[in-house]
Amino acid sequence: MPVDQIVKTVVFVIFTVMTLGGGLGVVVSPRIFHSALFLVLSFAGVVGYYVLLDAGFLAAVQLLIYIGAIAILILFAIMLSRGLMAERQSQSNQQWWIAALVALLIFVVLAAVLWRVDWPVASQQALASPSNAISQEGSQLGRDLLGPYVIPFEVASVLLLVALIGAVILARETES
Amino acid sequence: MPIEIPTLNFIALAPPLIVIGTALLVLLFDLAVTDKRVLGYLGLVGVVIAAGVSIAMGPRPATTFQAMAISDGYALFFNLVFLATAGLSILIAIDYLERHDLQRGEYYALLLFSASGMMLMAAATDLIVVFLGLEIMSVALYILAGFNWRQLASAEAAMKYFILGAFASAFFLYGAALTYGATGTTNLNQIGLWLSGGNSDPMALVGLGLLLAGFAFKVAAVPFQWWTPDVYQGAPTSVTAFMSVGAKGAGFAALIRVLRSGFGDSAYSADWALAAAVLAVLTMTFGNLAALPQKDVKRMLGYSSIAHAGYILVGVAAASESGVRGVLFYLLAYAFMNVGAFAVASALERRGEFSTTQRDYAGLSQREPLLAVAMTVFMLSLTGMPPLVGFWGKLFVFRAAVEAGMSWLAIVGVINSAVSAFYYLGVVVQMYMRAPAEYSPRLVGEESDAKKPAAVNLEVAIGTAVLLAMLLTVVLGLWPGPVASLVTMMPLG
Amino acid sequence: MIPLHWWLIVAAALFCIGLYGVLSRKNAIGVLMGIELMLNAVNVNLVAFWRYITPQVLTGQIFAIFVITVAAAEAAVGLAIIIAAYRRRDTVIVDELDIMRW
Repeated sequence: MPVDQIVKTVVFVIFTVMTLGGGLGVVVSPRIFHSALFLVLSFAGVVGYYVLLDAGFLAAVQLLIYIGAIAILILFAIMLSRGLMAERQSQSNQQWWIAALVALLIFVVLAAVLWRVDWPVASQQALASPSNAISQEGSQLGRDLLGPYVIPFEVASVLLLVALIGAVILARETES
Repeated sequence: MPIEIPTLNFIALAPPLIVIGTALLVLLFDLAVTDKRVLGYLGLVGVVIAAGVSIAMGPRPATTFQAMAISDGYALFFNLVFLATAGLSILIAIDYLERHDLQRGEYYALLLFSASGMMLMAAATDLIVVFLGLEIMSVALYILAGFNWRQLASAEAAMKYFILGAFASAFFLYGAALTYGATGTTNLNQIGLWLSGGNSDPMALVGLGLLLAGFAFKVAAVPFQWWTPDVYQGAPTSVTAFMSVGAKGAGFAALIRVLRSGFGDSAYSADWALAAAVLAVLTMTFGNLAALPQKDVKRMLGYSSIAHAGYILVGVAAASESGVRGVLFYLLAYAFMNVGAFAVASALERRGEFSTTQRDYAGLSQREPLLAVAMTVFMLSLTGMPPLVGFWGKLFVFRAAVEAGMSWLAIVGVINSAVSAFYYLGVVVQMYMRAPAEYSPRLVGEESDAKKPAAVNLEVAIGTAVLLAMLLTVVLGLWPGPVASLVTMMPLG
Repeated sequence: MIPLHWWLIVAAALFCIGLYGVLSRKNAIGVLMGIELMLNAVNVNLVAFWRYITPQVLTGQIFAIFVITVAAAEAAVGLAIIIAAYRRRDTVIVDELDIMRW
């Protein structure tokens, strides 16, 4: 096995520990504040995944939006809700063991199917040179977003407007 | 690097764009106008224009927007369903919000945005656009469900709807991702080409299953129906009227296009038809049985809307052209009769109360004969009595099932309709057979002046909505021909 | 390169961890975090499929960007809804918000 292959595998394992370990921390941590911190760890692992997958732009987006915006928003929400910070009771409901069984079962089924499928992986040649080779990564994405994907791009802006208005109304309404 | 300007065929998406534009105008005028009812009427104008444009586009050949969306007859007909629902719901809201002191300009803007999301779902030919349309519709509905900030029930409805909706979106996305992995594309037509080319891949089937789960949530089909009664009951009645038809219609619009364009010619078409048939039976049976004991009319209509999702699934299970036509007709009929029923329910709500029990309908024929007649028409049409429009809707979907060799499914549907008569006619019995004197305070210690039947607040806009819905329910029931032939002229492109 | 199967299994695991969080958490914010994990799992899937199956076309990456956009919009609205409910009732415990029966 060539050296860079070994390095990649080791890095993959490290990021996997971050992502899945962080994820487990999110769902089992007894304090909601700790859950949110584990969430940041898990998101950071996914940033590493994107770098490994040669999707540098997405790695930056993941870092900025998931960690910089969503995780921070959740942390704010927790800190702004009195009582949540100090709370240290069990965060799980009584059916947690059923939930665990369901999740485990779905995972086993999914994994079994995913493992057996012979995915139509592209040829080695194509794999070696992804379309957004580092040099023109951003530009190809930009072209696609304003070319074939211009409609979803514009529609997404409407969605953001809706979310903006909605968040403002919901936050404002208790004053009246 | 040269930047090539893409050719943008905006005509293909004219109706949703008009609705979005109207929503932006509403937001703009909201800053200047003090009487917010004006904004409702402004929204109504936009809805009417969009409907006119949809009708004008009907006879023209379908055009596409860069393989992302298409303006075929199917999408245009769904536009009419959503616009009719949105128009009637705006009429209800204009008075309803005023009475409950909830009047806000943003309400109309959000409702229009939500309608545009529905229209995009019907027109989308790419999973990415389906998803974005779904989210615009849903996010706006989450906010609208929680619009009544005086009631905990409304906040709770919004929370339940949001959590379960986002959960369903995650399933939808996982399904879309696996479909993309299996076929290498997110375009529905290309997925269809790939699958009809003799390719088969168990992953595409898993992906399809997860996509179906996401849609089943939006249309409130078993086993993803648990949120429905709580959300329908807790949300403001004007919102419930809108989402009971709109969200269901949009879910079916996208579901049918995904099934027929994407998975129609595949080796899986028999699989999904059978799955839809089983879901149809479970959904209508659950909805009807659960609706039987309900006392709160909004909640009863919530459960019954689950049952209607089941009837519509019968048309989906037929997996044929006539099944699709049946679904189209059914949804238009459902728009008039169900929104009409909610319009009556909202007219009967007293200030400060946000639901009506069966008792509020006692002796309505003496107090408000017109309202009682309208409610009777809606209840009979929802049951499927001829010659009202609901009868034809059921007839078309059941006939499609029989033609597809699923007679048993049609029989189950007819039995279910008979069961539904019990609770629909229960309301009619209350209105005509019970004296208004039987009204008693529903809460111990309720103010004494509330003991007499409430004066009905039938304002102009709500009255118009009730009257329009009733007229269309009756007229389209007596002359279903024009709509039935319109439906046959509007194929899936 | 790392085999595609590894990525998919990891993504499936993350999805199921998120699923467990949604089903087991009492706290609405905890449920929301579970949903975010599920969406991340979807994105890992999409990007891995792009890299291994259609490396010449950016569909997977673009889809992932839209998923992230939607996740941000949902998080903003969702947290606003949760906080609004919390302020009215002083709880974000899903189980306690049951003035309406299932």
